[in-house]
Amino acid sequence: MMIRRLSRVMAALAWLAAPLPLLAQTTANDADDETLARGAYLATASDCTACHTAHGGESMAGGLRIASPVGEIVATNITPSTSHGIGNYSEEQFARVLRHGIRADGANLYPAMPYTAYARMSDEDIHALYVYFMHGVAPVDVPTPPTKLPFPMNLRVAMKGWNLLFHDATPLEEDPEQSAAWNRGRYLVEGPTHCSSCHTPRGFMMQELDDQAMAGAQVGPWYAPNITPDDVGGIGSWRHDELVTYLRTGKLDQAQAAGSMAEAITHSFQHLSDDDLSAIATYIEALPPIGPSDGEERQGDRFSHGRPSDELVNFRGDSYAEGLEGESRGAQIYSANCASCHQPDGRGTADGYYPRLFENGILGDENASNLIATILYGVERETEAEGHVFMPPFGEQPNAFNALSNDEIADLSNYLLTHFGRVDENGKASVEVTADDVQTIREGGPGSPLILLSRIGMGVGIVAVVLLGYWLLRRRRAAKR
Amino acid sequence: MTQTASADVVIVGTGVVGVVVAEQLLDAGFSVLMLDAGPRVSRAEIVENFRNLPLGLKGSASSSYPPKPWAPHPMPSTGNPEDDYLQLEGPDAYAQTYIRYAGGSTWHWAGTCWRLTPDDMRLNSLYGVGRDWAFDYATLDPYYNLAEYSLGICGPSDPALQWPPQPRSRPYPMPHLPFSPGEDKFTRVMKEKLGYTNVPVAQARNSGMPYDDRPACCANNNCVPVCPIGAKYDAATALNRLEAKGAVILSNAVAHRIETGEGNRIEAVHYLDPERQSHRVTGNHFVVACNAIETPKLLLMSADSRNPNGIANSSDQVGRNMMDHPQLALTLTLDEPYWLGQGPVVNSGIMETSQGDFRAEHAGAYFRMNNFARNRYETFNALKTGKVGRALDEEIRRRTACTVNVVAAHEILPDPNNRLTLSANKDWLGLPKPHIYYDVGDYTRRSAEVYSMPIARRIAEAMGATEVKEPSAFAQSKHLMGSTIMGTDPANSVVDPDCRAYDHANLFLPGGGAMPSTACGNSTITMVALAFKAAEALIDQARRA
Amino acid sequence: MQTRHSSPGVSRRQLLIGGASLLGYFTFAGPTFAWTQAFKGTPLHQRFMQLSGLLINHHLDEGAGLRIGAFAAQKYAQLDQHIDSIVAIAEQQGATEVEQFFDAIPEGELRDLAYWVIAAWYSGSSSADADAELFTYEHALTFQTTLDIVPIPSFGLTGPNAWNRPPAPLLPVPRF
Repeated sequence: MMIRRLSRVMAALAWLAAPLPLLAQTTANDADDETLARGAYLATASDCTACHTAHGGESMAGGLRIASPVGEIVATNITPSTSHGIGNYSEEQFARVLRHGIRADGANLYPAMPYTAYARMSDEDIHALYVYFMHGVAPVDVPTPPTKLPFPMNLRVAMKGWNLLFHDATPLEEDPEQSAAWNRGRYLVEGPTHCSSCHTPRGFMMQELDDQAMAGAQVGPWYAPNITPDDVGGIGSWRHDELVTYLRTGKLDQAQAAGSMAEAITHSFQHLSDDDLSAIATYIEALPPIGPSDGEERQGDRFSHGRPSDELVNFRGDSYAEGLEGESRGAQIYSANCASCHQPDGRGTADGYYPRLFENGILGDENASNLIATILYGVERETEAEGHVFMPPFGEQPNAFNALSNDEIADLSNYLLTHFGRVDENGKASVEVTADDVQTIREGGPGSPLILLSRIGMGVGIVAVVLLGYWLLRRRRAAKR
Repeated sequence: MTQTASADVVIVGTGVVGVVVAEQLLDAGFSVLMLDAGPRVSRAEIVENFRNLPLGLKGSASSSYPPKPWAPHPMPSTGNPEDDYLQLEGPDAYAQTYIRYAGGSTWHWAGTCWRLTPDDMRLNSLYGVGRDWAFDYATLDPYYNLAEYSLGICGPSDPALQWPPQPRSRPYPMPHLPFSPGEDKFTRVMKEKLGYTNVPVAQARNSGMPYDDRPACCANNNCVPVCPIGAKYDAATALNRLEAKGAVILSNAVAHRIETGEGNRIEAVHYLDPERQSHRVTGNHFVVACNAIETPKLLLMSADSRNPNGIANSSDQVGRNMMDHPQLALTLTLDEPYWLGQGPVVNSGIMETSQGDFRAEHAGAYFRMNNFARNRYETFNALKTGKVGRALDEEIRRRTACTVNVVAAHEILPDPNNRLTLSANKDWLGLPKPHIYYDVGDYTRRSAEVYSMPIARRIAEAMGATEVKEPSAFAQSKHLMGSTIMGTDPANSVVDPDCRAYDHANLFLPGGGAMPSTACGNSTITMVALAFKAAEALIDQARRA
Repeated sequence: MQTRHSSPGVSRRQLLIGGASLLGYFTFAGPTFAWTQAFKGTPLHQRFMQLSGLLINHHLDEGAGLRIGAFAAQKYAQLDQHIDSIVAIAEQQGATEVEQFFDAIPEGELRDLAYWVIAAWYSGSSSADADAELFTYEHALTFQTTLDIVPIPSFGLTGPNAWNRPPAPLLPVPRF
């Protein structure tokens, strides 16, 4: 076990050390191997690459275009290029970005950059990150196009007020009452891995609601679910090792990562050490449990509903067109598009590679966003343990398996929710999906009030800017496709 | 008649060849308009068509693709030859299967991608039979590489398992797919008892990983008639991408006449819609890639005063030299279970038997054990025994496990007498049905007598066959070749080494029709390589124009 | 009861170009849902499932049984009486398994019906012909006899490239 763990760490280090040859060309005194490796590891834990590396682009060279209703945000070049990157940043300037969200030129960052979490990191770790970015990342002397947003979204200064109200820039301190694992877990969760950025619901001003920590929130088209240890609302039924496995692979029988979480696992979590993943699990398991957001009393968590079943009797042997017109339209769509892998009765393959759909969190949840988003955008994850997992999308992409309409996805979803989700005593699904719901997810997720606010204008500029940042943070990964 | 559309390049046929040419042109900045006679359908629909077939029809490659009235294609015979689409004559029946649907017949291909060997391209020089290719293997090799990376062809990295045996200039983009237990056993038995190497098929199927934005194979054993998940490449998977790149794709558009103009250049293609209305499509260059039956049919139908024998037919070779891989399939009952059905339906084969000096006397053959799950073939046989209960369960299980198909696929020589002409019998639109005279010829028949069937019997014996059912006649492999044959002499060939029609500077006829030799392996990868070569020549020509 | 007619150009039967004769099948024109509903839940339906349970000692899918039974009710004018006769034979023999009474079913109509029912459950089809009616694909029992190692074609067997494993023994047949 210990050997395996060590080999994982070594593998992680080896992976992280890939850009290390650069080191030989630098003479920086502070760039000792250990600090550099630590910085690289922290950059991985912080998932910097998720935003700052474009698809097929140079590492950390920015250029990823993030579509928004008010214009495109372009992720910046954070390589140590002195012409186009952050090569001229002093360590103090670098630290100010992470701790306060303020660039070297004094401008405020939008909170699309999760500095609110990075701010909780220790001075030593921010130093290590600085060393890594200056000496472990290859400079790329290529500019990224400037982000140009219309008024009032371009009022970065508005962030100053928000920071004053909501931003805590003090590093986390050890809690001597708690175990070392818990402290390490809290540090990783609240700091670099910035879990709450997605999983914690936000208030009116888009501040994270601390009393609802990790209780689940919408992230663009996806829903970052409740990951508190509540037995009904959260993941209280997961064993410690299951949580660790999930972070390592993105896959359990009862839950599979897609969307932003799949990317976080691909780029970040799978590369963390066993000890760190275990520490994260320890901290998550000790969070205050929070029940379902609808407040409803009920038995069983979101991983406990449904059973294998089908409606083949109503269309098998008829034509496909008849099946689509018939009583079991959703079942016909399921059969034609999904059953080849997930099997006719939703059982998945015997080896569990293609997941079962019953007793699966995506269908037992009180929010159908992930179901709709998975259908529209598919699933893509790449881990050492599980290989390159790919479920094709069913949206409007050129490689969509089948461009399903809003109506079709709604019918399919309702079939799935009725058979494999949470139903009442009459067999009626507790969650129902409409074609409008599908359209909402197709457009990138439910109601960002952003456009309206931007129209109202300057009076609500602060809120608008914060909202934009928030919206971008949540949207960024989904938008990459 | 209406003038419908125009583009830099008009491509008739949206099968693999048309699609590959189209993408090259689009990437080079040309506008492309594509016509397909048949409908544009979703994979979902075809998958359900298959599942809705009664068990007795599950083995049919075409029954999941009901033809539209305006785009008939061969279907299981009605018993009345007059009604069949292909009008067949001769000692052997050229009873091929292909479909006229957008995306073409790769919808139901197995995905097998055997390259030709250098010898396969020099039959005349080496053995004094057939025709040599207009160029050598080294010329084709880079286009094979393009085909492999474009379609996503997996194959073995071990040189000892690669076909052809000489060193590759580029590795396969994906590793070969694992064998089923039966294939493992077959491979072992062949090596130990007969000394043959059963090698993994190079195949256009995603192996262990997504590729080309399509998912990995999950062993649903349904490559034929349709891959339910698009893990197998078929040209239908490319159509949306082509449109995203700007292609215009017209389905249900039955090309029925090619129009020539000054200098015998092609001016337009005319097509009929399902309302029988005719439309005219103009362009600077034209590609006809409808397969080696539909392409010559269209060329012959388009005869005009400049081209009284048909378009591109001054050599009188259009529609001649119809070729295929005549096959003989043995059904064996074995005394031990082989358990076929995990993984793709064709996953390995013995290719070494296709090569040798014997080719001066008779055809070579490629042997394979098909990997189709056997329930669909054996259930009714088991039921015929009248058994019930546990005995019936065991009978079905035994037959499924212990029966196999071993196929010998032969090469054939180009023979001008094997000829497609226009039948007086008309289809729904009033267009002539294809009439085909076919005789596999002594070269291939001799192989069956003295070479392939004796080997097949030794294979059966080595596998421990307790019962061997031998075929009574050659069956077809659906590999249409030869009917617009390539050569260096315009007097006896239809297209030049770039698949350009000798008679029309702006007409390209890439695909199986151009192939002057068949070898024994499936033809698609060579057709695609020719498509890349033709596209390169077309782009070069169009840029200079 | 809802009645519908298959629209031209889309009926499955038209997929079966192989000379399928529609004669004799007009009763079933229209989507399955419509023509099975009249049979569903009737005493005859229940009796048919009872007969099926005697003839095939495996788990039987209700939906497939509805399809086969509804078809049998059309195909065999005396289905009701025949079921009575076969069930009576089984009861006479005190049989709980098909092996214990099948040979006692007299040759002729009764035996033909009994074997047709068995064949329908195993093949999921009304016959081996190209124009047969399909009752079920996924629940056809033939696939259950080999499901430990052979996929039902078009349904994935394992994750990518994970299907190579030691061959299964010929016997015993898995329980299903």
